[in-house]
Amino acid sequence: MTAPFLHIRGLRKDYGIVNAVKDVNLTVERGEFMTFLGPSGSGKSTTLYILAGFENPTAGDILLNGESLIATPSHKRNIGMVFQRYTLFPHLSVGENIAFPLKVRRWGKAAIDARVRKMLQLVRLEGFEDRKPAQMSGGQQQRVALARALAYDPPVLLMDEPLSALDKKLREEIQHEIRRIHQETEVTILYVTHDQEEALRLSDRIAVFSKGVIDQIGTGPELYADPATRFVAEFIGDSDFVTCRILSAKDGRADLSIGAGASISGVPVHGTAVAGGTAALMLRPERLSLRREAAREGTSGLSASVTDITFLGSSIHVAAAAPSGETISVRLPFGHEATSGLSRGDTVSLDFDPETAHVFCG
Amino acid sequence: MLLNFDRLGAWKWILLGITGLTTAFLILPIIFIAALSFGSSQWLIFPPPSWTLKWYAAFFADPRWLEAAWTSLRIAAIVTVLSVLIGLVASFGLVRGRFIGKEALRALFLTPMILPVVVLAVALYAFFLRVGLNGTFTGFVIAHLVVALPFSILSITNALEGFDKSIEDAAVLCGASPLEAKLRITLPSISHGLFSAAVFSFLTSWDEVVLAIFMASPTLQTLPVKIWATLRQDLTPAIAAASTLLIIVTIALMLLTALVRKGLKS
Repeated sequence: MTAPFLHIRGLRKDYGIVNAVKDVNLTVERGEFMTFLGPSGSGKSTTLYILAGFENPTAGDILLNGESLIATPSHKRNIGMVFQRYTLFPHLSVGENIAFPLKVRRWGKAAIDARVRKMLQLVRLEGFEDRKPAQMSGGQQQRVALARALAYDPPVLLMDEPLSALDKKLREEIQHEIRRIHQETEVTILYVTHDQEEALRLSDRIAVFSKGVIDQIGTGPELYADPATRFVAEFIGDSDFVTCRILSAKDGRADLSIGAGASISGVPVHGTAVAGGTAALMLRPERLSLRREAAREGTSGLSASVTDITFLGSSIHVAAAAPSGETISVRLPFGHEATSGLSRGDTVSLDFDPETAHVFCG
Repeated sequence: MLLNFDRLGAWKWILLGITGLTTAFLILPIIFIAALSFGSSQWLIFPPPSWTLKWYAAFFADPRWLEAAWTSLRIAAIVTVLSVLIGLVASFGLVRGRFIGKEALRALFLTPMILPVVVLAVALYAFFLRVGLNGTFTGFVIAHLVVALPFSILSITNALEGFDKSIEDAAVLCGASPLEAKLRITLPSISHGLFSAAVFSFLTSWDEVVLAIFMASPTLQTLPVKIWATLRQDLTPAIAAASTLLIIVTIALMLLTALVRKGLKS
């Protein structure tokens, strides 16, 4: 078996008594777009900074093509990076910024000029080489930073929330650019973000970070359809949780009851399910259907009473309270027959396919 | 805005008057001394009976004046270089370092600014007596360095704090060694701070008189000391000429600073 392209093994980082990264294990394929997704303080940025060589790990190793990077200082790792803040060299022009890593590498003048032109073309900023960074917008600056980081053909490109300072519309535009550039250059990208939409839009695979470990690694659809932990379920897509009781469990499926009425069988279960114990049932708003009648005994339908109805353009958002008081959200397409004449206080029945729900124990 | 100048009515004229008086208070002595240096009377009479350049001729003809000016210039130049270099290294420590007592150390570096100069002068004099530095060029440089350094540290730490370290990190990831990244990226980015540090250090040494009086010997004195010493012997208008030259250098440097600042901004 050949060694994986990039292998992070048992990575750990302590700051005094604070344990920022506990135990991160990950392999990345050549050319892959891998996103580290997680809230602030989950260890995703620290992991990236260890990769860049700005932090030394307390334990663990990083292997690139089978060779450890840990002992190599940052400037010899030959890794590209785009930062969260604008890091163009303020006293140099755009062209000189992109040429900087090449000059450091002692390239010839003609080769540098040709490369700078090619990189400007790649990020679609031809004709900007004589501008100073201060004369450019934030989005343009980050594109130049991307060109500078890719100029020397690094095997790995790190991106630390590069779009977080931009407004939403510009962010989407540059996400598009990043995807295109990834496809054109086939560079391996490790991308850090706390924005699930950004992660889903860009990545081949996503590693969901929580409290210093990776909860789950997978493609966007995998994480959405089959979250391994409650945290992943909460972080990818919208979800609500309802307390339920486990009746029986085997082979990764559980039968459960909610309140006095509904009982549901064959729900995928995560964690250790104990018959008689309580657990959290995850429901996705877009996977629920709504009927305007009380749920019948013995079906998987949940009785709830409507507490709020919000019109959101193409969809209608209905909030309903389960008998336990927990809120369940339902998203229905605009004009759906069940929504006409629906008003607060109405009793409805919420149905779902047990396959699309998940139970999290413990 | 709370106070709108155009709507102040009569107050406007009072404000203008106060501003005018303050400006006059600050500027008149300089104009006065400059006018005297061109006056023909040998007793520093104002207004001068007629105009002449002979005191400037006297200044440039007297090797003692020229030597004092040359000493001042040399000391100020060396103090400038050392002050910027030491200030730069100290600022990196004060801004980037992580150690206990950082803030206290920073305050300590600035104490020469608030300490009465004469106290510093007496202390240095007593110390230099022991180590044999009184009346030496080295003693002069050290004494002026002590008072110039706070200005350097102040302007360079300010510039360095305003510089995002991520930019230096980016240069390192681009392949520049940490030292190369500092020389090629960080220093040019804080050049305005370095320039201010240099100008303030030069001026601090150039027109410093209290420490210089303590450090001077009959054979080694700076221009301000020479002016002061001459003033005690006679009242030749050559003093006014020397003073005017001192001021001209200062003003020229200030103008240069303003121009460079403008250039750096655009």
